[in-house]
Amino acid sequence: MTSSQPRPPDVTVVVIVYNDAGRVATAVRSVLDQSLRSHEVIVVDDHSTDGTPAVVEKLVAEHPDTVRFIRLPANSGHCGAPRNAGVAAARGRFIMFLDSDDTLDVHACRNMVAEAEQTEADMVIGRCVRHDVATGKETSWMPWLVKQKVVYTSLREQPELLYDVLSTNKLYRHDFLVRENLTFLEDRLYEDNLFSASAYIAAKKIAVIPQRIYTWNIERKAANLSITRRAADIRNITDRIIVTKKIDELLAKHDAGDLRLQKDVRFIENDLRVHLARLSQLPEENQRALVEAARPYVQTLQDDAFREAKPLPAMAAYLVRQGDFHGVAAVHDYMVNKPFQPHLTADLVVRDGRVYWSDRHLDDPLGREVLDVTEMGFQDRQLNKLRLGGTVDALQQDGDVVTVAGSFTNPLGRITEESDPKAQLVITDRRSKQRVFRVEAHLAVDEQRIGWHVAFAPEKILRPVGLIDPLYSVRLHVTVGAERADLALFADDDVLDAIRLPTRPRLSRLTADLLQGYRTDSGNLALRLEADGGAAKLGTAAITGVRSTNFGARAWARAAEFQKSLRQRRNTRATKLSWYENVFLKMPVKKGTVVFESHMGKQFSDSPRAIYEEMKRQKIKFSPIWVYAGHPTGFPSDAKLVKRNSWGYLQALAQAEYWIDNQGFPHDLRKRPETTYIQTWHGSAFKRMGFDQADVKRQSEAQQTRLSNAIDRFDFFMVRSAHDERTLTRGMRVGAELLRVGYPRNDALVKGGNDKELAKLRKQLGLTDDRKVVLYAPTFRPEEVNRRSGLQLPFDLSEFTHRFGDDMVLLVRPHYLVSFALPPAYGHSVRNVASVHDVTPLLQISDALITDYSSLMFDYSLLDRPMIFHVPDYDNYVGATRGSYFDLGETAPGPLTRTSEDLIAALADLDANTTTFAEKRRQFVAEFGEYDTGDAAKSVVDRFFGTGNRRG
Amino acid sequence: MAEHRDIFIVCNTVNELGGLNQWAHDVARLFTARGHRVRLIGVEPAVNVRDFGTDLPYETMTLHAEQLPRRGKVSGLAALGRGIQERKRQQIFEGGVRKLSGILSTGGTGSVVIAAQVWAGEWVAAADTTGMQVIGMSHESYEACRASSRFARVKTFYTGMDMHLSLTDADADAWARAGMSNVGAMPNPLMVTPKTLPTLTEKRIVTLGRLSHEKGIDMLLEAWAQVAPAHPDWSLEIYGAGPNEQALRDQARELGLDDTALFRGKTNDIDSVLASSSVYVLPSRQEGFPIALMEALAYGLPAVSFDCAPGIRELIEDDVSGGLVITAGNVPGFAAALTRLIEDRDLRVRLGAAGRETVQRYTPDSIMDRWEALFTLLDR
Repeated sequence: MTSSQPRPPDVTVVVIVYNDAGRVATAVRSVLDQSLRSHEVIVVDDHSTDGTPAVVEKLVAEHPDTVRFIRLPANSGHCGAPRNAGVAAARGRFIMFLDSDDTLDVHACRNMVAEAEQTEADMVIGRCVRHDVATGKETSWMPWLVKQKVVYTSLREQPELLYDVLSTNKLYRHDFLVRENLTFLEDRLYEDNLFSASAYIAAKKIAVIPQRIYTWNIERKAANLSITRRAADIRNITDRIIVTKKIDELLAKHDAGDLRLQKDVRFIENDLRVHLARLSQLPEENQRALVEAARPYVQTLQDDAFREAKPLPAMAAYLVRQGDFHGVAAVHDYMVNKPFQPHLTADLVVRDGRVYWSDRHLDDPLGREVLDVTEMGFQDRQLNKLRLGGTVDALQQDGDVVTVAGSFTNPLGRITEESDPKAQLVITDRRSKQRVFRVEAHLAVDEQRIGWHVAFAPEKILRPVGLIDPLYSVRLHVTVGAERADLALFADDDVLDAIRLPTRPRLSRLTADLLQGYRTDSGNLALRLEADGGAAKLGTAAITGVRSTNFGARAWARAAEFQKSLRQRRNTRATKLSWYENVFLKMPVKKGTVVFESHMGKQFSDSPRAIYEEMKRQKIKFSPIWVYAGHPTGFPSDAKLVKRNSWGYLQALAQAEYWIDNQGFPHDLRKRPETTYIQTWHGSAFKRMGFDQADVKRQSEAQQTRLSNAIDRFDFFMVRSAHDERTLTRGMRVGAELLRVGYPRNDALVKGGNDKELAKLRKQLGLTDDRKVVLYAPTFRPEEVNRRSGLQLPFDLSEFTHRFGDDMVLLVRPHYLVSFALPPAYGHSVRNVASVHDVTPLLQISDALITDYSSLMFDYSLLDRPMIFHVPDYDNYVGATRGSYFDLGETAPGPLTRTSEDLIAALADLDANTTTFAEKRRQFVAEFGEYDTGDAAKSVVDRFFGTGNRRG
Repeated sequence: MAEHRDIFIVCNTVNELGGLNQWAHDVARLFTARGHRVRLIGVEPAVNVRDFGTDLPYETMTLHAEQLPRRGKVSGLAALGRGIQERKRQQIFEGGVRKLSGILSTGGTGSVVIAAQVWAGEWVAAADTTGMQVIGMSHESYEACRASSRFARVKTFYTGMDMHLSLTDADADAWARAGMSNVGAMPNPLMVTPKTLPTLTEKRIVTLGRLSHEKGIDMLLEAWAQVAPAHPDWSLEIYGAGPNEQALRDQARELGLDDTALFRGKTNDIDSVLASSSVYVLPSRQEGFPIALMEALAYGLPAVSFDCAPGIRELIEDDVSGGLVITAGNVPGFAAALTRLIEDRDLRVRLGAAGRETVQRYTPDSIMDRWEALFTLLDR
């Protein structure tokens, strides 16, 4: 007697497994636990040799109605055959795939089936999440493809689906697979790629849902650079190329040649990149072999693919095409993913005013295009933002003295003998950073590369404690003028092995006697305490003995865990705030301490600086503290410096007698009543501000209250005109006493007097001839902040240099949160002045200003020099985005230009501008700068710090 | 699979003033009409009681006889007492949970429990719901929730439920991106059928809503002050009451507007208010799936609204159907849109007619079909 055939399940999940007895049950259970109960599991075993069959058979016994087991008669070596076998046996109306080391989200089947039924799609795509098993960290796989629910009727509507070639985060209609005869290749790796591409092309409807469906567990494997790895690498890349060629054929067959470009771009950005990752760490012959294996196929890619792919992968692919494996390795050094440290090893060059990744291949037109890295802005980046990385090339021991030598690239020849570069090898305890050993390094400057070496007696200089400080980082600190950089170091295996520095730990040589070089998870060089001599081996063996007992191991692990969690907790904002509230604010106020901050610590500039300098000038006795956000370079050396949001910062603010800043200390820091807060502010308002601004108006009551509370901390607020009182202070609902004295930063504009500083600045910017200086300083646009390309000039720079290069120099000043890359070609008549801290001297040395809506217009007008308002986006910016307090066209003391041609014409007409707008400028100053009479800093200092108030 | 189910709807209260309880009674009535047995459960008594009538076709009940003690921020010496307070509150809470479990245990196979608000969801999550379908709802946009303390609680209490329903697909997608996989969407039903349709010739602009910060009446007044001088023959009428009434009246007078003409208090005759107007305005800072706007659209009124939630975009397609949508907080833009509608009757007619068509998607029948399809899905 047979029972009647039960209704087919909604979903069959095909779980494939090979020698994974430890994890397969977890995978199967993630299916059994599905909220959609109508499912079945087919486990297909690729002929495992471990305990896998037993584990699966037990699951079958427990769930005979839901779990089936298929064991292939022989090992196929790939995922294709098991998946095909699973599909062949499937009864479900829909099919999903799961690998034995991964899991499904509990609602995966329900979400996918519901969407498939509702949309009648042939396949549904859900979110795949990569889960790093070691750290627990999760990242979404190609999140831009699964942002929202959407249905495509053809791959053409979203060709980027070709980026997602996993077969596992998807649901397929069973009859769709049958109808289209979709099966996996059985004798190759990357069978997913072809299967997915075929499915995308065949599907009449493809649905996407944003829900998490699939967890892809990633276990980091130790780097294996052996011969087998080499063989595997080459086989992988060869298989990938065979599969990719089949996809090309498929696209051609379905008249989908237009999708080929998308696929080529994907190949460059993903596949090739994965196979060549960290190339420089392989032995040279492996590097060459890999690149040569990929080269023939890469040569068949269309030129446009190199143009459209992201710049770094495109360069790597192009260099593969040229067979330049050194070049490929250098690109990969710079574009590694976390946890590896990107580092710049390429020798950049300038040709015809553009910056190139290397001096090779520039005679090829495509090479010139692809290797052009001008837009990346290396030429304008500070030394510490270049991600320079150094090498360790050789090690020599002579008696007690060890000599270590290496090199790093000289970025565009920026480091010269004249710039007096200095370097130190810095060896730091990786855990606590408490113990630091420094050795002076000698530098050999060359236009392309800088050589470095140190010679020292390790036993004398390296004195670790032992036991508690087993790991040391090694970095090269380089100082060039006012710039500093901190270079990670990289070494080949044989050099790494040769780095064995004798050492005398303070806890005696029983704990260790050697610092051995090793490679960190990030790929750079570090040192590990080890035992080499007899006594040390004996001592460490004893310690290891204790630690490997049950109790010892537990105690050790718990201590390490405790230390780690303490460190993590210590630095959360909540911990810091609680200390700020409960401890620091209860400590006494330190009389005479003044905390200065300008633009959230980004600069030493503006009115806080002017007040500080006036106090210095008057020789007031006080304890200044300056806040810096990134790096202390450029901040005054005679003030105490604290990093923004550090512990020292919180304590300084809590105990300060005065706060002086121009934007706002962090909103969550309460000001005690004994502290006086002088808010200088940083500009009069054209754009709507504070509660007049749409972004603030729309906020919830709680958000608006937080803002109000932050503003209510101000005790004094500086204004420059009645206009400020009507607009700015009303919009921000400032309740503080108004200081109607103008802006301290503008004293110099009214009175001048800092000629020495100006001369220095002119020299620094190379303004040595008598050409006119024109400053371009546009306002802040939020979309530019995180944009890789930063500020894009809304006018034609080459036209400017062509027309005015002999008569003018243009200074480009992006907002301090925005980057700007200037092609060296324009170096003759254009300067990037992003890194100058204070804008006031820039205003002073400029003969004319081009701006748009920036509050600099109010300040610059005090100089009574020509101004141009370049506003191509006027309607959008003023109309839709921000709104304004007055009509710029009516009020502006200069012409409004909307096109590049208009601007060029206005620049040609600067002399007439001087006279035509003289009256308008006068009115403008009267309206917006009536209190700016040049005594602002003095007024503030007299009132708050004057000798009448405090005698020294 | 049960055709007729026991459906338990759990809210903070059963008879508080405001949209949520209105919604709860509406769907309770609709479920009942479809043959389900509904029980409407409140956690605690209402503060501002609204009378929903006595002979309701479904049962209502409240778990706690008194308001629960609120968790406030305490510091200093008061913190010592907090532990005791917390324990006491926990005891009360557990009593309520036991009572809820008792009520839920009376349900038959295929029973459904719906937590309509996340605070009530704490009781539902703690109660014994074995064998039941458990659904939690967010009656606000994802963004509004994220800006509040409810965000963390939704994640805590709704993650383990069978389904977490938002008001729109866009909000559900946002929750999915934030890591919740049990999400779906269920809009509110449209409960009105207009008796008379407005002619769109009356020079009257109207809004209905609580006079509180999140409804943005202050921004409406600012916008109106920019529009009114050029259109003295038009009037703006604001129906509703609320905590900010006095402040809003003061603001209106400061702006040179006649507050007595503007503020009309509460009304029970929504039909005649909507039927005698020509433009509806929704200046809110936060919304979910605004019922008042949907009802205005059902009357064929064109609307001006801030783009404060995906629910707005679902009801209005800017300049195509239902009215005009303005970037949230952009008051001059709101004023300009109002001016456009005031000055162009053809535009009012076109947008109003199209909007009326759109909201037919939300008739009680289609919303009930969606609910029942959902119950069937959860049974599979």
